Amino acid sequence: MAHGTLRTPAGEEKKHRIGRRGFIASALGGLSVAFTLPETGRVLGLKAAQGPDPGTLANAYVHIGTDGSITLMFGGAEMGQGIKTGLAQILAEELMVDWEQVTVQQSPVNPTVSYLTGGSTAVSGRYNNLRTAGAAARELLIQAAMTATGDRDRNHYSAAHAVVTYTGPNGGPQSWPYGSLAARAASEAVPADLRLTAPANFRIIGKPVPRVDTPSKVDGSAKFGIDTWFPDMVFAAIRHAPAIGGTLAGTPAKPEGAIAVVPCKASDNRGSVKAGSINAVAVVASNTWLAKKLADKLSVKWNPPPSPASVDSAQIAAQAASLLAGGAALVAEPAAPAGQTPAGYASVIEPQVANALGTPALDATYTLPFLSHATMEVMSCSVRLTWADSSKTLVTRCEIWAPTQAANWVAGTAAALINAGQATPISPSAIEVTTTYLGGGLGRKIEQDYISQAIQVALAVKLPVKLTWMREEDFSHDNYRPTAAVRVQATLGGGGVTAWWLRNVSQSILGQRGWLPPGAVDSQAVEGAVHLPYTMGIRLTEWVPLPAGIPVGFWRSVGSSINTFAVECAIDELAQHAGADPFAFRQNLLSDPRHIAVLQAADQMSLWRLSLPKGHAWGLAMSEWNGTIVCQVAEISQPAAGSLTVHRVACALDCGQAINPDQVAAQMEGGIVHGLNAALWGQVTFTAGKADQKNYSRYRMIRVKEMPQVTVQLVPSGNPPSGIGEAAVPPIAPALANAYSRLRGSRVRSLPFFPGATMGGL
Amino acid sequence: MITLNVNGKTVQANVTDKDTPLLWVLRDVLGLTGTKYGCGIEVCGACTVLIDGQREHSCVFDVGSAIGKQIVTIEGLSPAGTQNHPVQQAWIRNQVPQCGYCQPGMIMACVAGMKAGHHGSELLSEMKHLCVCGTYQRIRDTVANL
Ligand code: FES
Ligand code: FES
Repeated sequence: MAHGTLRTPAGEEKKHRIGRRGFIASALGGLSVAFTLPETGRVLGLKAAQGPDPGTLANAYVHIGTDGSITLMFGGAEMGQGIKTGLAQILAEELMVDWEQVTVQQSPVNPTVSYLTGGSTAVSGRYNNLRTAGAAARELLIQAAMTATGDRDRNHYSAAHAVVTYTGPNGGPQSWPYGSLAARAASEAVPADLRLTAPANFRIIGKPVPRVDTPSKVDGSAKFGIDTWFPDMVFAAIRHAPAIGGTLAGTPAKPEGAIAVVPCKASDNRGSVKAGSINAVAVVASNTWLAKKLADKLSVKWNPPPSPASVDSAQIAAQAASLLAGGAALVAEPAAPAGQTPAGYASVIEPQVANALGTPALDATYTLPFLSHATMEVMSCSVRLTWADSSKTLVTRCEIWAPTQAANWVAGTAAALINAGQATPISPSAIEVTTTYLGGGLGRKIEQDYISQAIQVALAVKLPVKLTWMREEDFSHDNYRPTAAVRVQATLGGGGVTAWWLRNVSQSILGQRGWLPPGAVDSQAVEGAVHLPYTMGIRLTEWVPLPAGIPVGFWRSVGSSINTFAVECAIDELAQHAGADPFAFRQNLLSDPRHIAVLQAADQMSLWRLSLPKGHAWGLAMSEWNGTIVCQVAEISQPAAGSLTVHRVACALDCGQAINPDQVAAQMEGGIVHGLNAALWGQVTFTAGKADQKNYSRYRMIRVKEMPQVTVQLVPSGNPPSGIGEAAVPPIAPALANAYSRLRGSRVRSLPFFPGATMGGL
Repeated sequence: MITLNVNGKTVQANVTDKDTPLLWVLRDVLGLTGTKYGCGIEVCGACTVLIDGQREHSCVFDVGSAIGKQIVTIEGLSPAGTQNHPVQQAWIRNQVPQCGYCQPGMIMACVAGMKAGHHGSELLSEMKHLCVCGTYQRIRDTVANL
């Protein structure tokens, strides 16, 4: 059954290869090593099986077909970060096969294991497991060769280019292609101690191999979620309550030309949006355009949000300012001593820090807006149900195609909705989720709102359906990067910082999801403000929850996108106060050799800064995200008021072992663009819950002619791989602000630089 | 039912409203999903196709006006069994795409510019499409040499 999910629409990854090769190969039998690719590097299970058995699958497997095919299957999300290529590189390395010999396919999803792709763990979190799996498969093949010769001395065997070679005494030198050993290998046992390749001997890891998905992405064959298509499907457009938190006041009549109008319940609690409340209607028609047109025209009555002030950005900003001045804080760092709560500890430590601060050299408040993800591919999900009976009451199979960062949550969403409507629960294995390509994820596509709506529509109309959000709905009903106000007070002394007090006021991403224990600090809110690499006399980091009703979520680099701006601007301001060079000032505060090496690399990369043309200036910032240390130096000029030209960005980083240096560079280039868009123009404002920016025309982004020249340098450290997907985002905004201050002599402490910017047509 | 010429083939499309943007006829009626929806208002360029050799934004190009014209989508640029178009080859060489969603539109715009005889910086100045992934540096490097 579950193999069916491999056929459409994810399909084959490497062009010019035999279609559905892994599928055919598995039908031929061969060797499968199943394993889990968890968030952390734990190996949860490792076993050999005769042919892949989807029922017992973990969440990934390596399959070696008797035809010699080598396939990696996994259930994660390719959203531009090159995950498929990176994973295949790691596997091929240990399996001792050539790069060209590996094919990567999406695997069917087992709803009981995690497929969450986020937090930049896509490759880094899977490094050890994948190496182990590759080595296990290799050793099983060697065991099979041992059985053939009767010689069990491992030293007589070697593996290379998908061939096992024997050089021992039994019958003279022999060799076997992997395919000829695959069937027998399946009945061998994995040796207890698996030798992994020493990094010095890597052939494929660390090489800039071309991505496996590139061919399909230049010829239009790559299938994104929005591209799911069957000849008999119908199309749904969604129309939410115009104001966040609004609900449907009465079901509208079905307009002429529509197949159906389906009221949709909200999937989750998100601020003023309550799970189960009907906050949208879907209109179903014969094509998306018609559905959208009918949805636009639909006469719908909506109840306003219960508290319009809580979803109004001007009122939220005023509330944040007042909480910054006098709100009760929770201490994030230093950790509260045993027996004290983060809130209780604040009253103990605040007087000590205030005392150490005296009259601070710096007392600055930085503010940041709500941001939209604005993924290039809008929210979309396709669902096809199968029923046991002709009257379509008992759902027995549910196929979902979704651009999702959390396929197992999708399966859970489907099970809950289906089982709410039938006495006999659907079998978990009858829910088949195919993760399509994602036209950008950026943290938006872990959410279940669009998934739930598509399933609700499919259940209502009892037809295969694709639901698509128009761009206006996407901007108006995101799970936004939270707005924040951050105050930093700091005192200088002895060439360093003697006291530092950072207070962040922002909404709680975890709290909105019910994931935050009462009285605890939201780790997402203070990320980038704690565990700073800088040595300081006394340091206090606090969080004040902002009880606003805007749905908030994970936006590429999450809390670091906020706090790194405050911290790195503040450090630069302190350097200015001290009359110190910003490189030297930071180096003086650093003790970790990795940070120092990255800072020094950025220094060397940006020697151009010493001879800039008149009217140009440079700025520097650094940050650590998920183990990856990044330092960026930006060169800017301001040819006209209301704009900035960013000429170049030097980017040095230590991401441990780089799997694919070219893709590391791509992530740095792209992350810098993402951060630039946000710093210069990014902002969503709400008037009583209605987003004021509904399309890219009012959410400006850079275009190709505004792209700075980005140079990337990897600083080797010998560490295992750490995340690269988000690390480039946090430093660019403070680097710009620090450059701007050098250029203009005045500080930008409130982002974006240019609010209200618009973007013209093509 | 209307008759269109798409990628060199005559096809029947079941649409009643001739004001329907070509984008949605291609995607939903004909199942040609390589042409993408991004904004619907001619800001992003994801929906770019060639109509009689000219670049057009199919999100605002009504299907009625495409009748009798030659429509080329990304799927028709290098039909199965043929070599990739030089623009596609250059894109692969420089490993341009990240998520890939904006790329068909980018490539079609580039092809249209080259058909009009534009190269290098002139061609580059026409590449105004949005790429949220930020592949601009590679697009610039690629187009500069076309
Ligand atoms: S979808 Fe046509 S220009 Fe954006
Ligand atoms: S490659 Fe993702 S939007 Fe351009």
